[in-house]
Amino acid sequence: MAQAAQRLVQRVATKGPQLVSAAVTYSRPRLATFWHYAKVELVPPTPAEIPKAIDSMKAMVKSFQSGHLAQLTVKEALRNGLVATEVLMWFYIGCCYSSFF
Amino acid sequence: MVPPVQVSPLIKLTRYSALLLGMLYGKKRYDYLKPVAEEERRIESEEKKKREELERIAKELAEGIYIFFNISVPILCPKST
Repeated sequence: MAQAAQRLVQRVATKGPQLVSAAVTYSRPRLATFWHYAKVELVPPTPAEIPKAIDSMKAMVKSFQSGHLAQLTVKEALRNGLVATEVLMWFYIGCCYSSFF
Repeated sequence: MVPPVQVSPLIKLTRYSALLLGMLYGKKRYDYLKPVAEEERRIESEEKKKREELERIAKELAEGIYIFFNISVPILCPKST
C-alpha cells in the first residue's frame, strides 16, 4: 500500500510538469488566435456605436412592422436564431457570474 | 488568418446589455434562493442529528448495554371456547 502510494506520488511528480507544459504548448497558439479575433469581435460597443445600434434597432422594429419577417429566407432566419441564442448565452453567463461572486 | 468580422453594433449592444441584465437577474435570484437553501440545510442537519441519536440508541440496545425485562405483550387471538 505504502509502496503503491509512493509510486503514485513519484508518477505525479514526474508526469505533472510534463502535462502542464503539454497543456501550455497546446493552448498557447489557440489562445493567440482567440485573442486575435476577440480583440475585434468581442469588444463592448463604444459610446459612438450606441446611437448606431439604436438606429438599427429601430430599423429592425420597422421591418417587423412592415411584414419583412415573412420575406426572410430560411438561411437568414436560422442565422438570426443563432445570434439570438448567442445573446441568450451571454445572459446566462451574467447569471452564473453573479451567483459565483 | 481570416480577418476578423466587424460585428454589428446592434449585436454588440444586445450582447452586453444581456450580460448586464443576466448579472442583475442572477443577483436577485441568488439573494432569493440563498436563505431558502440555508433553511433547508439547517433542517437537514437537525434531522441528521436526530437520526444519528436514534441509531446510537439502537446500537446500544443491540449491544445489550441496557437490561430489559421480557415483558409479555398481549397477542390478539381468537377467543377460546
